[in-house]
Amino acid sequence: METAIEIKNLVTHYGDVKVLKDVSFSIPKGKTTVILGGSGSGKSTLLKHLIGLLKPTTGQILMNGGDIAVMNEQEFNEVRKRIGVLFQGAALLNSLTVADNVALPMREHTQLEESTMQVMIRMKLDLVGLSGFENYYPSQLSGGMKKRAGIARAMALDPAFLFFDEPSAGLDPITAAGLDELILKLRQAFKMTFIVVTHEMPSVFKIADYVVMLDRGDAVFAGTLDELRASDNERIRMFLERRSEKEVYSPEDYFRIIAGD
Amino acid sequence: MKIDIVDYKGHLIITPSGDIDMYSSPELRSELMRLITKKTKALYVDFRNVSYIDSSGIATFVEGLKKMKLYGGRLKLIGLPEGIMEIFRFSKLDNIFEIYGNIDDAVGS
Repeated sequence: METAIEIKNLVTHYGDVKVLKDVSFSIPKGKTTVILGGSGSGKSTLLKHLIGLLKPTTGQILMNGGDIAVMNEQEFNEVRKRIGVLFQGAALLNSLTVADNVALPMREHTQLEESTMQVMIRMKLDLVGLSGFENYYPSQLSGGMKKRAGIARAMALDPAFLFFDEPSAGLDPITAAGLDELILKLRQAFKMTFIVVTHEMPSVFKIADYVVMLDRGDAVFAGTLDELRASDNERIRMFLERRSEKEVYSPEDYFRIIAGD
Repeated sequence: MKIDIVDYKGHLIITPSGDIDMYSSPELRSELMRLITKKTKALYVDFRNVSYIDSSGIATFVEGLKKMKLYGGRLKLIGLPEGIMEIFRFSKLDNIFEIYGNIDDAVGS
């Protein structure tokens, strides 16, 4: 498998708290990689590093021929053109129509004629099933439609990498399943590398070619779905079988904590 | 991307080479529109040296075809490599554009 992104010994802190602890793994090119993990596992923090919103304390993120962990703003701008992101809340600009939201990256980064952009906008919206919604405002769209519009905008510049941050968050199961179908369709049609951060297991089993699992800041697994299913790692089994954590404290420890000893 | 325009037995052939992408499409568009403004009856685009086309390239040809249809002109695409043909197919445009294997077939049609 050809590698698209390589993460080497990534360590990051929020204040004194180590959030990512020496994380290393590779993301294969042209596949859908799901970054899986529970709340507080560090998966959203990892995503923010991969799209250049955060810099690690130490470690490397090798992508597009360079280490984005140490790139300056100007160098990263070139990489940024090759990255599309669907943010959790879709992050559409409410004062702009759907068409203008999709056009935003084109207007920002290219010298294309307005007429060419209009054709491209219609193509992108058709891809995500939103033909005819060009002149709608985000507030006039349902949650699922907003996400689709967000995907159209993320694809505006035909990126090599498409990132999804919790795409199913806040969606009903039917709409979420529709979004999974769309991700599958896009992945089959384009030779892009998809990186999806989620904790929704039905989504994982539907869309993933490759899975990375984070647990409390460590990458505890990287492999295929079959390898994930076969894993005997206790934390992975708990996640797959939806088992809750055992009591962390003994009654004596709990008493000491609340009594302030 | 480099664009050559050659005359083949009285027919104008646009031959782009390299990548047709967000950064090179405006140049291709300007060449295409220059010939379309002259109401050229038939334009041929030879894809044999095109390594990649993105959505801005496809959109450029959609614009060109739309303008040519207004005066009854014909835009004929020639020698599409399989990867590029796949993109036209996926965009559902393989049945909209006139696509030929070689220039002689295109001229003869």
